[in-house]
Amino acid sequence: MAQQEESEQQATERSLTMSRAMVEAIAHEMRENDEVFYMGEDVADYGGIFDSTDGLLDEFGHDRIMDVPISETAYIGAAVGAAQAGMRPIAELMFVDFFGVGMDQIYNQMAKNTYMSGGSVSVPMVLTAAVGGTYNDAAQHSQTLYGTFAHLPGMKVVVPSTAYDAKGLMHNAIRDDDPVVYLFHKRLMGIGWMPAPDGPKTGVPKDDYTIPFGSADVKREGEDVTVVTLGLHVHRALDAAESLADEDIDAEIIDLRTLVPLDTDTVRESVAKTGRLVVVDEDYRSFGVTGEIVASVAEDGLADLEAVERVAVPDVPIPYARPMEDEVIPDTDDIADAVRSAHRT
Amino acid sequence: MSGNSDRVPVETADVWPDGADAEEAVVVNWFVGEGARVEAGDDLCEFQVEKVSVDVPAPTSGTLDEIVLGEDAEFGRGDTLAWIRPDDG
Amino acid sequence: MVGVSELHEMYEEMVTARHYEERLQEEYLDGKQPAFDISAGPIPGELHLAAGHEASGAGVCQHLRDDDTVTAPHRPHHIAIAKGVDLKRMTAEIFGRETGLSKGKGGHMHLFDPDVNFACSGIIAEGCPPAIGAGLAAKKRNTDSVAVAFLGEGAIDQGAFLESLNMAAVHDLPVVFVVEDNDWAISMPKERVTDVENGAQRAGGFDLPGARVDVDDAVSIYDAAKEAVGRARDGNGPTLLEVQVHRRMGHFMGDPESYRPDEDKAAAEQRDSIERLAEDLRAHGVEDTTIQESRERAHERVEEAIEWAKDQPEPDPADAHDDVFSNPPSGVTESDPSAEVTGGDD
Repeated sequence: MAQQEESEQQATERSLTMSRAMVEAIAHEMRENDEVFYMGEDVADYGGIFDSTDGLLDEFGHDRIMDVPISETAYIGAAVGAAQAGMRPIAELMFVDFFGVGMDQIYNQMAKNTYMSGGSVSVPMVLTAAVGGTYNDAAQHSQTLYGTFAHLPGMKVVVPSTAYDAKGLMHNAIRDDDPVVYLFHKRLMGIGWMPAPDGPKTGVPKDDYTIPFGSADVKREGEDVTVVTLGLHVHRALDAAESLADEDIDAEIIDLRTLVPLDTDTVRESVAKTGRLVVVDEDYRSFGVTGEIVASVAEDGLADLEAVERVAVPDVPIPYARPMEDEVIPDTDDIADAVRSAHRT
Repeated sequence: MSGNSDRVPVETADVWPDGADAEEAVVVNWFVGEGARVEAGDDLCEFQVEKVSVDVPAPTSGTLDEIVLGEDAEFGRGDTLAWIRPDDG
Repeated sequence: MVGVSELHEMYEEMVTARHYEERLQEEYLDGKQPAFDISAGPIPGELHLAAGHEASGAGVCQHLRDDDTVTAPHRPHHIAIAKGVDLKRMTAEIFGRETGLSKGKGGHMHLFDPDVNFACSGIIAEGCPPAIGAGLAAKKRNTDSVAVAFLGEGAIDQGAFLESLNMAAVHDLPVVFVVEDNDWAISMPKERVTDVENGAQRAGGFDLPGARVDVDDAVSIYDAAKEAVGRARDGNGPTLLEVQVHRRMGHFMGDPESYRPDEDKAAAEQRDSIERLAEDLRAHGVEDTTIQESRERAHERVEEAIEWAKDQPEPDPADAHDDVFSNPPSGVTESDPSAEVTGGDD
């Protein structure tokens, strides 16, 4: 998979930011299918606070790129209803932290209606949301909450880390017959006022393509330690791997890309090779992604495991002041330390 | 600047935002690299002036010959960002 | 009828609030030019400034005591100033310093000053339920305290607001809802998101009194709030009050406002309630020199607060682990993050 993508990326001369790649996929699907439309706060004239819909209004107009009242319960629930009526709505939560306002529609309707109907109803919608910290927006605007959505059954959960992945995963999300929660990290979007690290801007083919859900991507091959991560921390882990290479520690970096479905095979194969597992996540530590990955490896491959480390946000809300936010959000050094520790074991 | 007679400059004056008071901007993203083939109207790069992001389209079809101002470079309204060697140039 | 001393107090609060926002804007943009990088400069994070909203905070809070509760939204500074929040510690909080109101944990959208019963929240309309809770507590304890929930006009479509109106009405709670209408919910003009022209019309559906102040005018807001707060304090239940204000500095600092017609902004800026109040003061015979002294006092107070705040130490990174609970579970040692737990620079 990784090699095939690499060759596709080389085939294009054009690179895009992650936001532009997402928008390109949405625009393509909207051209192909009149049933696709987008609803959210400030998605029309503003183009999305984080550029998630930048330029779409010009082509599709206010009927299909809809600004909505600040009424998350109503418009997320409306997306559920429109999806059940056969349309393919995309609803955007400006910040994932606002999910609480409309959560009942998300987890009691969007996620469960297929099951509760015995499969007679499907909910082909996408819920997009901006996630993540690193810019001091404090406790109500900095969370990732990936794990919460993945914990509750009935939603597919997508977390892209590069423009190439973002486009392919978005095509797949809109075409999928199930509800998909598509969580984009603000720091990766390539917004002028929130500079991205090197890495998320990649070559992106102009034509449409899909990346299947449940296929993790080995972003860096290595022999010594397996690092499983997603989103922004893919890039932090890659940076850590570069510095560790100078110490003759060869880290393999796996980007999960989707949490539901979860590609445990790729993780298991890697751990079978390295014997050492480090899971890195920007979500809260307890009852979350890191614990789930470790458990899934332990269940099937306990004998392969020689060392396990978790690097995540401790169980505190995200603080505002820079020194404290830096303390709780894992950085490259934290990842490198954890890999060293696993390697020593 | 020898050899520019057959090259076309990529400039920002036409796309500079109307309301902007600032005369200084910053290159935020390049979407193509030197040597890339571009079509007239393709977005080549993006710059930011007072937090407004603006795309810069290719003035002509050809090859992106030289990027003069890379990402994070600061520049003024009349500056040349890059040079394109047109197809028939 | 409002007295001249009250006019004077409101004026000084409003000038303080305006100068505060202008100075914060300056500090915030320091290091953010020509490239606007949200992570650069002395003030962390987002910043939502309230220039143009001053009359609302001053006119309403003039009727409040320290034991009255105020909840404010993400644009809180003018309300905090009028409610008497400690300006130095609030400023230190905005600069992310250890001696800030929340020790640097909250930031400008999450200011708490229990001494004057002030709190704010960054989620739209989410201050409404806690405000009715404060009203409920006052009623149960038989005190004459009241609670005021401030929100923006974009928040009147939110369930938390509508549910709170109903609960406050049915229980006759001593609460005033103050909708600050600045015409814009980020990029959304209100006519695109609601069919009512006047947010106070929402009151009718819940059978509580509703009123709207149509002009950016501190005295009119003062008068309307006097009636509403008086009604609450006398045990006669809630009121919904909408007041016209305007937005001079974008939704947040750095908002390009490319969606907003230039004429709209220019027209809004003409409605300067501070200038209008200065006229009122003159009409009451207050000398220009006295008005000028007021301005100077306000400016000095702001400068002092900012200077003090910038002098304060940054928090210790390890402090991030404290304060999750008031009563930490046994076995949890605060300020002692284990090396393996995270993310730490330990």
